Amino acid sequence: MTLTAELVDLLGTARVLDHPLRRHVYGKDGGVTRGDVELVCLPDTTSEVVEIVRIARRHGLPVIPRGAGTGLAGGAVPLGPAVMIVLTRMDRIEDVDVESKTAWVGPGVINLELSQHTHRHGLHYAPDPSSQSTCTVGGNVATNAGGLHCLAEGTTVAHVLAVEMVTADGEVVTLGGEAPDPIGLDLRAVAVGSEGTLGVVTRVLVRLTENAPASQTLLLAFDDIENAAATVSAIISEGIVPGALEMMDRVTVEAVENYVHAGFPTEAAAVLLAEIVGTSAGVAAEANRVASIARANGAIDVEIASSPAQAALWWKGRKSAFGAVAQAAPDYYLHDTVVPRTKLVEVLRAVYAIGRKYDLLMMNVFHAGDGNLHPLMAYDSAQPGVLDRVHAAAEEIVRASIAAGGALSGEHGIGIEKRDLMGLTFGPVDLDAQARLREAFDPEQVFNPGKVLPEGSRCFDYGRPPVGAEA
Amino acid sequence: MGWVTPEAPKPEELSACIQCGLCLPVCPTFRLTGDEVASPRGRLTAMSAVADGIAEVDDTFHEIMSFCLQCRACEPACPSLVPFGRAMEGARAEIAAQLPSAKTSLRQSLLGRRGLGSGGAVRGITRLAALGQLAEADRWLPGRLKKPIAGLRRLGLRSTSVIGQTHRPKGTPVATVGLLAGCVMDSWFPEVHKATIATLVAAGYAVSVPESQSCCGALAAHDGAVDEAKALAGTALQAFRDVDLVVSDAAGCGAHLKELGHWASGGRDFSSKVRDVTELVAESISVGRLPRLAERGVSVAIQDPCHLRHAQRIVAEPRDLLRAGGYTVLEIDPNGMCCGAAGLYSVLRPETSSELGDRKAAQVMATGARIVASANPGCEMQLRSSLGSGFRVAHPVELYAEAVGLV
Repeated sequence: MTLTAELVDLLGTARVLDHPLRRHVYGKDGGVTRGDVELVCLPDTTSEVVEIVRIARRHGLPVIPRGAGTGLAGGAVPLGPAVMIVLTRMDRIEDVDVESKTAWVGPGVINLELSQHTHRHGLHYAPDPSSQSTCTVGGNVATNAGGLHCLAEGTTVAHVLAVEMVTADGEVVTLGGEAPDPIGLDLRAVAVGSEGTLGVVTRVLVRLTENAPASQTLLLAFDDIENAAATVSAIISEGIVPGALEMMDRVTVEAVENYVHAGFPTEAAAVLLAEIVGTSAGVAAEANRVASIARANGAIDVEIASSPAQAALWWKGRKSAFGAVAQAAPDYYLHDTVVPRTKLVEVLRAVYAIGRKYDLLMMNVFHAGDGNLHPLMAYDSAQPGVLDRVHAAAEEIVRASIAAGGALSGEHGIGIEKRDLMGLTFGPVDLDAQARLREAFDPEQVFNPGKVLPEGSRCFDYGRPPVGAEA
Repeated sequence: MGWVTPEAPKPEELSACIQCGLCLPVCPTFRLTGDEVASPRGRLTAMSAVADGIAEVDDTFHEIMSFCLQCRACEPACPSLVPFGRAMEGARAEIAAQLPSAKTSLRQSLLGRRGLGSGGAVRGITRLAALGQLAEADRWLPGRLKKPIAGLRRLGLRSTSVIGQTHRPKGTPVATVGLLAGCVMDSWFPEVHKATIATLVAAGYAVSVPESQSCCGALAAHDGAVDEAKALAGTALQAFRDVDLVVSDAAGCGAHLKELGHWASGGRDFSSKVRDVTELVAESISVGRLPRLAERGVSVAIQDPCHLRHAQRIVAEPRDLLRAGGYTVLEIDPNGMCCGAAGLYSVLRPETSSELGDRKAAQVMATGARIVASANPGCEMQLRSSLGSGFRVAHPVELYAEAVGLV
């Protein structure tokens, strides 16, 4: 039987997409790279995923898992012929355990809807990437997603206790367990952030976090981005850890204000949003301290949200910033690097200079509290040669961040986007170790081949050629 | 072959999408299927594929586009402000122009070449339906019509049309408003028009229902019937040229009239005069021209028609006027997802429509309310047939007018 016939037998015609136009729609995620998809499957159950993996392997094709397709690093974009497994239909929230604050959820559960679902128990799922209204828990596991609140709460890996995964052999394994500190090697932590290269995650045991009894949001405006950065450092060095601490520059604020109409000060050079969480007495006192730190560091305006609705609107503005900047130009490239907080000003200056050098509209909106920069370049891909400039600028930004003692990626993952820059951070020994770890799970590169690790990562490349590669 | 009509999705409409995916969770068809192809982002990608010469306007493209409910929930969710509804009407116009098989759509075979433009067709259907209700003859109906017909109000045999009427308030009118009678509204929802007229007159407006008006053209526009939509837009411009404001008590019609700039020259000026009735009534209450009652313990579940909430961005007004009528307003759905009526979608794709209708009915039932307010005729019928007996579905203006004793 042909590949399509076998899969249609398993899933029916509606859940196997082989028309060229339908496949074309799946050729891209939220990033800039496009690939060709051989066939798309939409399974409902773990056992269907097992069968799809077995069938794909029999036909010599690799497998690409995909969530909501909001990734920005090309993690769900195939580099060669592959079967795509779309996990959005596996969206059941099962077994919410209020006592132990955990839940087993399908990989297709939408991040925000998990928190909405557990709200009545006073619980939420802490990682909250800006795309949280759309992105899936499975995708979050793949990229070890962060978000606004990972400053205080940590990234996805701190909120996943176990994953159920379909392996290259078509076996179903559970990595991790309900115990907070698993015995033996922590394979759960290996799966989180593996970007679909080890297997297909079909269920996730998440840790739920208690909702804070009180919170307050402050909007701090500055006429100088350096004062904003100094305020960030001062807040943290005073021993205050806000739930979230976010910065937007002027161009970003203008675009965001045009979408949400939240009363953002569009004349400010930079806006900081700070969320203070805790008990109501503690929150009020801490908010006052943050306000006076901001004033001492030259804030031109300090505003405390007058209602939860106003705070929600400010945060909606922050979370839709990336989409909103598209009002400035039809395409964007959203970057993701990390720098030490103390080097924020220095690296920001370098980033704006890189924008000028390559004649690109450079905007900055980022997780200031943990130094996770998101420089954003808006451009029009119809302009000849512009994408080359974008890529060159992106690489320079990475180099500047790493030179300042930072990291290649904060939370978006490596995917295709930064694969070939891995050598800037890792030496041959590190890359070899990672390649061996991957080989232990997936020796024939069935899952998401060509992602994360650059070619030649394996020091002694005697491994078998990947599935689907030319003999 | 690419695009062939001037209505085709425009390059700037398509390039406005930056594929962030924030539209996915609010799209009813994406939520039902989990399929990117059934999402706003996927549909825009498919349109771009045609624009770029990668794909053709063929049966698959037609299938992908016609699965869309045109509820426009994606528009408020879109931070880069893609005019999705306009682009989708453009795609439908291309399908009508390029696919001979799609030309004779079910809309046309059901309703005739002029669609609902001829009031006579609706009046004829109404007479038949009224007789059918009397004879309880619904078992003879074809399956896909059974559910929509079950959503009808009890129809009278005598005509109740308000077309041609004029009503003056006591004293000098605040303004003169022309009421869009609509096609099904005038024949199937006479009580809503009656309540609209009584409430607006009580608020100090002079109300006329111009004789020369016709169907607003919304269904034709959604279906890609460009010539028909343009002709009907021209008729509307003529019919309402002498009034200060044009008011609609059907959300779908109002949404279309507010965007007539796409369909007629001078349409933009016309659109600036258009109001949904809930806007005028809520405003009149707030300035004290209409009374406000104390809450009296009657619960009403509120359903947001997509073309009120997403297309016209009207959310507060229907709630305001229900509260002013003394009702306790119960929310059913924070995201305002489509009930599945979606114009003629309920007839064209009964399965998808029913699935969404059942979801909506379950949300209503969960509130415990026995009264549901809906400001659009299609939604009202869908709610009534999905909820079954034991529930009252009414327009917010009807409920307000009853509460304050205007009808």
